[in-house]
Amino acid sequence: MYRYDEFDAQIVRERAAQFRGQVERRLSGDITEDQFKPLRLMNGVYLQLHAYMLRIAIPYGTLRGEQMRKFAHIARKYDKGYGHWTTRQNIQFNWVALKDIPDVLDELAEVEMHAIQTSGNCIRNTTSDQFAGATAEEIEDPRPWCEIIRQWSTFHPEFSFLPRKFKIAVTAAENDRAAIRVHDIGLHMRRNDAGETGFEVIVGGGQGRTPHVGVTIKPFVAKDQLLDYLEAVMRVYNRFGRRDNKYKARIKILVSETGAEEFTRLVDEEFEAQRDAEKIVLPQAEVDRITQYFAPPAFEDLPDTSDVLEAAKAKDDAFARWVRVNVRPHKQAGYGIVTISCKPIGAPPGDVTDTQMDVTADLAERYSLDEIRITHEQNMVLPHVKLDDLFDLYQELDSAGLATANYELISDIICCPGLDYCNLANARSIPVAQDLQNTFADLERQDDIGELKIKISGCINACGHHHVGHIGILGVDRKGEEFYQITFGGRADEKAAIGQIAGPGLRAEDVPSALERVIETYREVRSSKDERFIDALERVGHDPFKEALYAAG
Amino acid sequence: MTSVRPKLKADIPKVITAWDVATGATVYQTADRNWSENIADAEVVVGEAADAALEAAQGDELRILDPYVMEVTADGEVTGRETLRETIRATGPTTHTEFHKAARGVVDA
Repeated sequence: MYRYDEFDAQIVRERAAQFRGQVERRLSGDITEDQFKPLRLMNGVYLQLHAYMLRIAIPYGTLRGEQMRKFAHIARKYDKGYGHWTTRQNIQFNWVALKDIPDVLDELAEVEMHAIQTSGNCIRNTTSDQFAGATAEEIEDPRPWCEIIRQWSTFHPEFSFLPRKFKIAVTAAENDRAAIRVHDIGLHMRRNDAGETGFEVIVGGGQGRTPHVGVTIKPFVAKDQLLDYLEAVMRVYNRFGRRDNKYKARIKILVSETGAEEFTRLVDEEFEAQRDAEKIVLPQAEVDRITQYFAPPAFEDLPDTSDVLEAAKAKDDAFARWVRVNVRPHKQAGYGIVTISCKPIGAPPGDVTDTQMDVTADLAERYSLDEIRITHEQNMVLPHVKLDDLFDLYQELDSAGLATANYELISDIICCPGLDYCNLANARSIPVAQDLQNTFADLERQDDIGELKIKISGCINACGHHHVGHIGILGVDRKGEEFYQITFGGRADEKAAIGQIAGPGLRAEDVPSALERVIETYREVRSSKDERFIDALERVGHDPFKEALYAAG
Repeated sequence: MTSVRPKLKADIPKVITAWDVATGATVYQTADRNWSENIADAEVVVGEAADAALEAAQGDELRILDPYVMEVTADGEVTGRETLRETIRATGPTTHTEFHKAARGVVDA
């Protein structure tokens, strides 16, 4: 894992000290709220319905036990004993007092953490594949490049006041777990014909009120040209992106209105026009230094299979199910990648208590070479667990309420905070998720249904990624009443697509039974148990599912 | 303004609501131009009195932020199009009921 150098550490410490002064001036009345608001937003501090909310960056979703333990401490001391994982692999605390936030930032700085790039019209926290560095599917670990992008983009003077926020995601695996095609820029690491590794550059994806799937504007950019090319994209966006209308200010609108071909021409023109003096020459020594931090940890030389694991599976059906559902193959023989579900049945998706954070920190240190990942689907991952250790790990997770075997199943729902917390929301989302989890609580049934991604947003800003849910649920306000619009066919993976609205919105109480009918239809039409919901939907079309959705009465 | 809320007719009863600067807690303006976390303490205002109350709130930046008028009945009960949102602000999230203001004794259960 990357460790901050003296410059990183100084930046974070100075930023915390600077914000302390800004908070003091706000509380003493030396600056107005209008003057203070952009400053607090640049430090991840939002105002929500009940309190301030502090969003803390977890670069590319990677952290170590010490950092997780600090989150637990902050949850206990400054919040209400829990935190909430976000769809940018970050954490939010929903109840922090403004007067305490300078102390929180000081505490975070002790463990190389901060709230920089979690808000405002800048390049936000770069996200990545939560299995990076552990999966055999990738051509190489993308995280050194996430870190290089982080260092390039942090406080970049030219890109600190963009038309709107800007999100970049990177993956190096064919199976896209980072939703790169619905980002402002998605980078997919590829090999060219010469066997060199570089980046496919995908631009103009995004969700919100005008969802778009990004388009490839460059099939291959060499590593040593990546930052120059990103700068060219950013400059075209900064110059031509609209600033007169915040709803049309994202790069997806510029790409859509300009046309991908013309946008690409503008980027190429900018790229070529950069004088040699402007080129960012990435010293190979620096690339090597950063890459070294992500070198594979000291794996043991183990056999492919584990007798200990097989014996435990034979004895314990619940454990066997958890292994089948939540553990994925590792590139190193004798290891597995463990997803810790933060979606126990009936609980707010993505919430973890201070105790659970402490437990996860301890388990990461003991079983996963001190690495934890946070996923954009609001779960945690222990990326490097020996197969021999899985049963012991499972038992400890189970004791902490962290062993729900539902990764990628119907109850593994992405859900925004909705009207229970959010100042922008029109409708609640957490209670809808909880009702669905309770409806489909039976794990046998979930297992039978198979992979199915439900995503719920409480407003059109789409923080709950409903546009790319196999089944998306959007809360809307209709004359003071909550209704829920259902979409079918969205997906965030390598075949990214925006879901299509099925028809009129439903009342909250009707959503679970309507989706039960949809699921029964799926079970009837699927060609075999192995045909996933999304594949069956694409094969037979939406009509049978729409009919089922509205079949009541 | 963080909260751009629907405009309300002059003759509708209202209270002034905002957030406490230091803590971010939801607060309501009282008759003596102070602020309470309990909506039951709020002064119900109508017409020009509501305009004056809001103006006073907007000048109270040291204590509160983003004040706005919200609709209530003549008895001060939350009502109108934003009933759900304002009930959630007044009492707490419908999830996490352990964090309700009533659990802290700020409002009656």
